Amino acid sequence: MKNKHNHKHISSVTIVSILVVSLLLGSSIASSGSETAKAGEVIYTIADSTGDWGYPSPHGHYPRGPGYVRMSFIFDTLVWKDTQGFVPALATDWEYIEDENAYLFHLRKDVTWHDGEKFTAEDVAFTFDYVKEHPSWWVDLKSVKQVEVLDEYTVKIYLKELYAPFLNDDASTLAILPKHIWQDVKNPSEFVNEEALIGTGPFKLVDYSKTHGTYLYVANEDYYLGKPEIDRLKFVKVSEEMASTALMRGEVNATAIPPETVVEVNGKGFTVINQSGDWNAKLMINHEKEPMSSKEFRHALAYAINRDELVEIAQRGHAIRGSPGLLSPNSPYYNPNIVKYDYNPQRAKDILESQGYQLKEDGYYWKDEEILELELITAPRMGFERVAEIIARQLGEAGIKVSVRSLEWKTLDSRVISQQFDLAISGHGGIGGDPSILNKVILGKFGYSANYTKSESLNQLLEAHLHEMDAEKRKEIVREIQKIYAEELPALTLYYPTWYWGHDGSVDIYYTMGGIARGIPIPLNTLAFMEYKAKVKAPAPTATEAPIPGFEPAISLFVLISVAYLIKRRRKH
Amino acid sequence: MHINYWKELKKNSFGKIGLAMLILVLIIAGLFPLLTRYDPGEPSHSALNPPSSEHWLGTNDVGQDIWSRLIYGARNSLLVALGVGLFTTLISTVAGASAALAGGLYERIMMRMVDALIAIPAFIVIILVAAYVLPNVWTLIFLISILTWQGGARIVRAQTLSLKERMHVYAARTFGANKRYISTRHIIPELGPILVAIFIHSATRGVFMEAGLAFLGIADISTVSWGLMMHYALKFYYLEVWKWWLLPTGLALSVTIMAFVFIGHAFETAMDPRLRVMEGEDWQC
Repeated sequence: MKNKHNHKHISSVTIVSILVVSLLLGSSIASSGSETAKAGEVIYTIADSTGDWGYPSPHGHYPRGPGYVRMSFIFDTLVWKDTQGFVPALATDWEYIEDENAYLFHLRKDVTWHDGEKFTAEDVAFTFDYVKEHPSWWVDLKSVKQVEVLDEYTVKIYLKELYAPFLNDDASTLAILPKHIWQDVKNPSEFVNEEALIGTGPFKLVDYSKTHGTYLYVANEDYYLGKPEIDRLKFVKVSEEMASTALMRGEVNATAIPPETVVEVNGKGFTVINQSGDWNAKLMINHEKEPMSSKEFRHALAYAINRDELVEIAQRGHAIRGSPGLLSPNSPYYNPNIVKYDYNPQRAKDILESQGYQLKEDGYYWKDEEILELELITAPRMGFERVAEIIARQLGEAGIKVSVRSLEWKTLDSRVISQQFDLAISGHGGIGGDPSILNKVILGKFGYSANYTKSESLNQLLEAHLHEMDAEKRKEIVREIQKIYAEELPALTLYYPTWYWGHDGSVDIYYTMGGIARGIPIPLNTLAFMEYKAKVKAPAPTATEAPIPGFEPAISLFVLISVAYLIKRRRKH
Repeated sequence: MHINYWKELKKNSFGKIGLAMLILVLIIAGLFPLLTRYDPGEPSHSALNPPSSEHWLGTNDVGQDIWSRLIYGARNSLLVALGVGLFTTLISTVAGASAALAGGLYERIMMRMVDALIAIPAFIVIILVAAYVLPNVWTLIFLISILTWQGGARIVRAQTLSLKERMHVYAARTFGANKRYISTRHIIPELGPILVAIFIHSATRGVFMEAGLAFLGIADISTVSWGLMMHYALKFYYLEVWKWWLLPTGLALSVTIMAFVFIGHAFETAMDPRLRVMEGEDWQC
């Protein structure tokens, strides 16, 4: 009995050590895969840290940006976007007919589906009717009244009411489906066979592995803009930490890279592109609960938080300071003339004192024998824990006691939605696209939206800008929205992180103006893959590479375990 | 009975190594203010710096001095060790000894409860509970203790049952000593060595579990904890920083846990004569 116990103790040493080793080693084992190219064939490989984004059919992919991007290689929309704005896709040109509140689209006549059938206006009309009936996460077409086929290559789309975001949110987001295949499909999300992948796009899918998170596309020879110069397009799963190494070793051609590796990646001759302002991290404030229900109190919070420090420390400078109006300075709709809430802890204290709080010797504000204490919840994602830690310290310095809790991501979302929180850190993208996103993130009920409907004037303006067809006037309304939003402050935008992509220059990948489709800030626009340049700098894998991180610590720990084991052996004999 | 445990501990090479390591950790934790000039929570230096004469182990992702966090983190681990050790031993003793002494239905209920608790995986329960309460260091100590005292209680009960039947306890009883007298004068003092073993064992488990939970992100993120340090360090392991951030932290944790394990092992050897190696003969055969 005792003897057994003894062994248990010794083995626990080993277990501890093994655990530490596997901990250090485990994450360094990243998957990467790069087949050797067949003679003359151009293969372009893109790394992704998640891997699987669902079956790339219009209704089968996961409702997130990368899922849409994987679908967009196979399917086309009526209108598309590049670095400058809208460009023709399936529609050669379009016009808005004011009297009828309708859009007229003239379609290309040289388009065929992947199965050889001709593409016509019937397919477009069918898609609109079909998606109205089966809305996807991206498009619901609520604004569309009816679709009329004028001739084989002309369609007219009537809107129910004036709806400004139509071109961006619907026409350049809705993937056009082949009528001859989808007309019999009752449940689009369960339609996941090969037929569901017949589109008009530049690529066809030949292989998809859910378990490995890989996608393989081949070029569509009959694409209406000509055959893409990339013969095979591949997505492979590579962990975020290994992405830069994989790129520098030539295992992948393009990947998102951590900010800390930008200098090194750049130094080895790779192109690094970056983008910020399409995504924001924000402090969610429970405006339904005392004391945050007071507007002034929310102002005090904003004054007590030093957003510059968050950028400098939590994001190590790879971000832009948040604007209280939500939209970033990079947005064409940005309004610089709003309340800025520049860091001013004294002002925060003054506001708190005017609210009846008294500063006590413990350094915190008290009211009615109760300390001013708030709970800040966050999730272990995108460096949010560090942000929370810093905000808790800053608010503490202003006399507001804050306890921080890190929750699982989905728990965080559900607590925000059910308003069981004081403060929370969350975030969302899409703010580089059409300002219709504001309606979603101010009025909506999501884990990342303010869920704020108390301000009548804000509600009216949010409704108004959707129906304002004059671009300039719409801009004015959106600017006004930012102003009121900043004053009401139902949530505070903290910063816009900067994202980096590194690539070898063989394909000029770029960020789309306003994001792909509804505003996806990923630089994988299908149009970029039409052209292939011979590699400017072929990154030869160097033999003198540093060993894989995690290897050296593993060795040192192995030595340590061996010593412990030897001691044990010596004791035994 | 008549073993000088301290002497036995010192004779045992495991014990010596363990003690030396523990003393080292204690000294480092105790002399914290003398060993560094940086506040472990102060993020005022530039981030991800390599080691320099300013920052011996460089700085982490938010510009805090890693060396000062490393030695300050020792306090957290030792606090957890002490807290879990004491608390678990207390619960084990009360539950185990009372069950053995009282007997009857109470003992049965108590021991079935112990059986039931053994089946519950403490780690997972704590992760669940942490979703509802703020997992600060005191909560963790409390949770780890109330979820892991069962093993100790069993040992205490077994030992108490055996002590109850010893000759001198019988003798005391014939002289009219009541239960209270017997338990305070005879049983509890003689449980001493067992309790020390339980203490060390729980302390080890406490350190280990706290680090594991913090590594998974179940911790008050404002505490300076080795587990949390590894949690953050792992996000940057693709950079050079793992050498002075992840590795020293892992080593510090290993050293602390091994110190406890070695001491515990040496202690058990001292307590149980059967484990002592007899010179010149294979005693166990």
